This record gives sequence, structure tokens and C-alpha cells, in this order.
Amino acid sequence: MFRTLLLNLVRAVGVLLVVSFATYCLMFSDGIGIARAVLGPTATDTQVAARAAELGLTRPLYEQYFSWLAGAVRGDLGSSFLTGQPVTDAMANRAPVTLSLIILTIILTAVISVILGVTAALYGGWVDKLVQFIAVLGAAVPGFIIAIALIFAFAISIPLYPATGYIRITDDPQGWLWSLTLPVTALLIGTIANAASQFRGSVSDALSQDYVRTLRSRGISERAIVFRHVLRNAAGPGLIVLSLTTLGLLGGALFIESVFALPGVGQLANLSAQAGDVPMVMGTVIFAMILILVVNFLADLFVGILNPKSRIK
Amino acid sequence: MNKTRRRAISALSISLLASAVALTGCAPGGGTSGGGGGSTLTLGMTADLPGLGVAIQPAYQGWFADAAWDTLLICDSSGKPSPQLATEWEYNDDRSSAKLKLREGVKFSDGTDFDAEDVKAAITAAGEVNDRFADVAFDIEDENTITLTWPQPIPTLDLVLCEPNISSSEYYAGDAQDTTVVGSGPYIYDAGASTQGSSYTLTRNPDYWDAETYPFDKVVLKVFTDSTAGINAIKTKQIDGILADASTVDEAKSSGMEVVTLRGVTTRLLITDHNGEKIPALGDVRVRQAMNMVFDRDAISEQLYRGFADPAYQIFRVGSDAYLDDLTEDPYPYDVDAAKALMAEAGYADGFTLQIPFFEGQNHDLLFPYITEQLAQLNIKVEQVNLTGPDAITDLLSGEYPVPLWQLGNYGESLQDIKDYVLTDGIWNVEHQPDATVDALWQKVLTGTDEERVSAQKEINQYIIDQAWFVPMAYPDGFYVYNPDISIPTESDFAALHPLLRDFQTK
Repeated sequence: MFRTLLLNLVRAVGVLLVVSFATYCLMFSDGIGIARAVLGPTATDTQVAARAAELGLTRPLYEQYFSWLAGAVRGDLGSSFLTGQPVTDAMANRAPVTLSLIILTIILTAVISVILGVTAALYGGWVDKLVQFIAVLGAAVPGFIIAIALIFAFAISIPLYPATGYIRITDDPQGWLWSLTLPVTALLIGTIANAASQFRGSVSDALSQDYVRTLRSRGISERAIVFRHVLRNAAGPGLIVLSLTTLGLLGGALFIESVFALPGVGQLANLSAQAGDVPMVMGTVIFAMILILVVNFLADLFVGILNPKSRIK
Repeated sequence: MNKTRRRAISALSISLLASAVALTGCAPGGGTSGGGGGSTLTLGMTADLPGLGVAIQPAYQGWFADAAWDTLLICDSSGKPSPQLATEWEYNDDRSSAKLKLREGVKFSDGTDFDAEDVKAAITAAGEVNDRFADVAFDIEDENTITLTWPQPIPTLDLVLCEPNISSSEYYAGDAQDTTVVGSGPYIYDAGASTQGSSYTLTRNPDYWDAETYPFDKVVLKVFTDSTAGINAIKTKQIDGILADASTVDEAKSSGMEVVTLRGVTTRLLITDHNGEKIPALGDVRVRQAMNMVFDRDAISEQLYRGFADPAYQIFRVGSDAYLDDLTEDPYPYDVDAAKALMAEAGYADGFTLQIPFFEGQNHDLLFPYITEQLAQLNIKVEQVNLTGPDAITDLLSGEYPVPLWQLGNYGESLQDIKDYVLTDGIWNVEHQPDATVDALWQKVLTGTDEERVSAQKEINQYIIDQAWFVPMAYPDGFYVYNPDISIPTESDFAALHPLLRDFQTK
């Protein structure tokens, strides 16, 4: 298992290099536009050209990339072309926002999806119908529409929660939870829809296996069968779905951060890409890649722990 | 219902309830905070600051600069100056030189005293990024008296002196200009309470010389890149004010917000290829006039702008020196047949192809297809070129596209319009083609008396109307919505785009 995890790690580093270089290529320009954006329309062409050179944007692509890579390996991701803010500072400010959003959403998704999925598979009836309804709702209604509806209902009509903004957990833990309630709820509809129906299917599959019939014939209680055996076997596909959902949340967070004016990494990535702020874009790419790496690693690890069969190569 | 089933459903219910409780928290009351007047003024910004550097602060939504720095003079909505860091000023005859007497006893937020050396450092730094301050010579008489001399006459010298924000010479000499803010303004930047890109907090400068003008103890600027989020924030009183547009202003009004209406822009096509160097047809005045005649300006205002605009027959602001008061009728009334006849007379009945740049967020989504359709009646085929990304503005101003469509400011001081849009080196005169008549009239502006200066501006206006250098379309309304708990008794912005920081007052 350790070998498998190590192999995955090596693969991930390779992917990181490829993705970072591809991103750099896509963002590459002669730098004049960026320098003009920094200095404004009143600057002369000479001043603009001088700033482009000062920012190192007149160097060849490979030189710029390897310069960035060398810095990144040392932990220096450079500074924003536009604001001069160090990328690590920007990420330190914004990563907690996006991580708060994703982690809260995924924890609640896991808890609610497992409960709904298992209950639907075991008992059917209205819970099953509810799971199916949520699945259809989640697939049919985009997250930002749900977000706008939630703001209208719970921030404007009934002013329970803030319509926009983020409060740092270190400043006010309760305010932090408060500021994330609507954004997380907006994301939850879609994630639960996906994960609950997956858990339901996995548990149904597991319940129809021969070993379950054998266990039942030996008189073992239904509860023990479900919690000790069925859930363990159904966990694999469920965890994969959760890991994919976590990664999908990176995209969802971009819209949600915009609608709720949350100063997260998604918002930064969007604005930086539009402005051609290469160091900031690269910082957000590194953040996303590290998140993907960690999530995949944890998914592999938990699947391995829960299901010994998956440890066999 | 058997026992297992009951337990499962109970567990489900408890879990859902626990989740709901976790999500809703246990705090009483609602989630709104900030805003609401009092001692904190919280303003929404629809775009982030370009950075913290003193020399790159924009005038548009420039509340951060208003708060953190002072300028030499301060201009009102018509461009008339008042004392700020300079308490007295006098110009030489041709307005190429200004002698300034500086305010005494002013301290910067880094603790240093303000003097003439700081002015020299600030203007020198501004000259590195702004052509208006390039090659200025300095003569420091004493620590509170300085003379600035430009290499050429500056008819808009009042405006120029109202522009640069002044920091300390120590700041300019240091290497932390991108990350620190040193100013003498009414507020001091609080980096610890700010998150760049999201929220900027400034607290009152206890030593400020004009504290009465700024009644709030704290100013918070929040960035809303999504207009819906901004409107939601004002509706729930999380902020005290934000820019709105015609699509959101009614929504804000219905939530009890107050509205300031501003007329700071003129929507227009800029036909800058007057000599026909890029597109020969544009060098013929009859073609440019025909292009003016296929637009029904009244219909544009009423239909496309839903009544939130007036038709524009000229590009200048009503009441400015260049504005022609007697031009009450459209000089190019809507008449497609006459326009076609003019095209034929000019030998361009078959038309030509015109690439016009399109930008998201410029409110041209409805206007652009209309322009395409109307010009097609003259067989002018419009190709929409979408400009995005960091090179967009550079491309727009490069001269590649000789007829940009843009919503440009009309200023209280029309000399600035002429400089930006009409003169050969004007930023928005993107083809930069010389014109002897305009140059001659500009000389009158530079050398004439006040009366002659005004008269020459009107002549320039009449000339560019006759020559159809622009296709003015509308003066659209701009909206600033604000919390009724505060007041905005004055509108000082020379560009008339939004209230300035000094316009916000407590009730």
C-alpha cells in the first residue's frame, strides 16, 4: 500500500509540473498589456515598456517559467504583477476561506449522504423518494440559482444571515459559522444529490451480495451486518465520489465566492486570470493541485483502511 | 414500524437537526453588520484597488486615495481648485509654471513632516508613470515654497495640481511602495484589519487639519466583483453605498435606499480615422456624417436605455465651457435615406467593413447589435471584436480599431475632454492624426484670455460636430445608491461618476 501511495505521489508531482507549465504557456504574453494595466492609460509607451522589462515580462517563456519554478521550489511564489502583494500572503489570506467552504461542505455532505443513502437503501419509502428528489433537484438547479434564492429568503426577506462577506474564525468563531451558512447550504444541495444517490446504490449493491445472505442465515443482527460489513464494502465507491465531489467544489466555490463576495481562492483565480496576473494565477493553480493531491491521497488511504482487498495490487 | 426502522428514522432526524443547528449556529438575531452610518462608513467598490502604491491609485472609485492621501489642491465638480496641501498658488502667464505655498504643520502617517522635498519626490514619482508629470522642473525656495515648471503650457493646470497624491520623500526613497501606505490624508490605512482584494480598513488620522469634513471615525471599503452581491449587501445594510446601474437601481430604491443620479459619461462612437489612413471611406466627411444620421438618438434613450438617458447631440457636458447651449436640435437628424444618398455621393454606396471592439461590462450588450444593424443599412459591415484579458485596453488604444465604441467621461472642465478625445495626442484619439484647425484653435486656448479660451473651446466643439468626428448617442444616467442613515449633501466629483469621500456625511 505504501508503494502505491508513493507511486501516486510521484505521479502527482509530474502532473503538477505539466499543469504548471501548461498554465504558464496559456498566460504568456509580451507583458505590455500587464504593464499598461499597472500604470494606467496616462503612461507613455516608453514607461510601459520599461515597467514590462522591470517585471521580467520581456524574457523568453522558458526563462520566465524556470525562474518561477526555481522560486516555487524554495517556497517563493513571487508577487502580484499588479498589486505587488506576495502570492504567499494572498494565498494565506484566501485559502482559509475556500478551505472553510470546502471542508464544511464535504463533512456535512458525507454525514447527510451516508445517512440518507443507507436509510434509502435499507428502507426505501419516503426517504428513498427524498434522496431521488434531492438528486433531481441538485442536478437540475445550478448552485448559483440556489445561492440567490437562499440570499433572498434568509438574508433579505428574513434577515437571519449575512448576504455577503466572510468573518475569520480567529476573529469570531460564531460569526465565521454564520457567514458560511448560506454559501455551504447552496453547495450542499448539489453535493448531497450526487453523493447520497451514490451511497444508496453502493449499499443496495452490497446488500444483494451472497455474503449478506450468508450472514443473515447465521442469525447475525441486521444492524451488525450493515455497520460491520455492508458499509465497509460500500465505502469504497462512496469515498471516491466524495473525493471527486471535493475536487468539483473547487469549481463550485468560484461561483459561490462571487455571489457571496467571499474573498477566497476561486475569486482570486478568476480576477487574476482576467488581469493576466501570472504569479497569482500560478499560486491558485498550486493551491488547487495540492488540494487534489491531498484529497486523492486521503481517499486512497481510507479506501485501503476500510477495504483490505483494495490494498492488493 | 419496527424497532430498527424507528431507530433509523430517529437517528436521521437527530442528525439532520444537529446539522441544521450547526449550520445556523446559536447566535441570536440576524447576520447583518457594519454599515448603517454611525462612526463607520462602509462603502462597496465594484472593482479592487490596483494595488497600494500611491502613484497608481485610480480616480474612479478612488475613496481609498481620498482617505489615505492629500493632494496639492482639491478640485470641485467644475474643476475649480481649493487649498489642500498647498494653501496659496499662482501661475505664470502661459500656465507652464505654478508657485505653491505649502501648508505647515502637516505630518505623514510615518511620522515625518511634510515639506517641499516631499512635493518634489511625489511629482517625480508620478512622472514615472504619468505623462502629465514627466520632465517637471523644481525650484525649492524654502521648505514651504516650491515652484513647478512644465516644459510646455498646461491650460488645465488646476486639474493637474488636483491630481497627484502626495507621500513622504522617505516613502519614495524606500522599496516598500507596493506594500505600505504613507499619507497625510484624513484616514490611516490599517493593514491588520484589511484583506487585500476584499476589504480595506482606514481609521481616523487624529492629526488631520480638516477633520470636520470627514465625520466618520472609520472607513471600510469592501470589494464586490459581482454586481448582485453588491446590491444584496446594500439592501441588507452591510454597506452604506455602492454604484448601481439601470437594471438594479429600482431594486435598491424599493429596499428603501436613497439614490444619487449622475451624468458623467457620453456614449459615443469615436471616428478617429479622420484622414482615412486605415479605412479610406472614413476620410470623407460625408461618410462620417452619414454614420451619424442612421441613429435615432431619442429612440436610443427611450428604448435601449429605458428612459434612463438623454439623447446626446454633442460630446461635452451640459454647462461646461465647450458645450453649445443653442444646439437644441440634432445636427444629424435620423434620416436613413439621406444618409444613403450621402454615402452614394461620396462614392461609398457599397459600404465597407468596420471592426469595432466589444468589452464585457460596458453596458453595450443592447447598443452593439443596434449599431451593427443601423450601420448595415449603409452597407457598413460591423465585425465585433471581443477584447478580453490584460491586453484589452492596450489593444483598444493601439489604433488597430479606428472606431471604438465607448462610454467616456464628460468633464466639468471641457479642456480635459479636448485633451483626451480631440487633440492629436489625446489618449482616446486612437489614430492620433493631426488636424490643422484643431491645432490652431488649441493655440488660442493656450495663449488667449479667459474669454478667448472659452470661445476657442466652443469653436472646437462646433468643428468636430461639423466634421462628424464622433457619433454621440446618449448621456446615460449613472446611479449611486446609499443607505438613508447617511447623507450625501454635495457632489464634488469632477468626473461626475460617484460621490467623493468628502461628500459622505452623517445625518
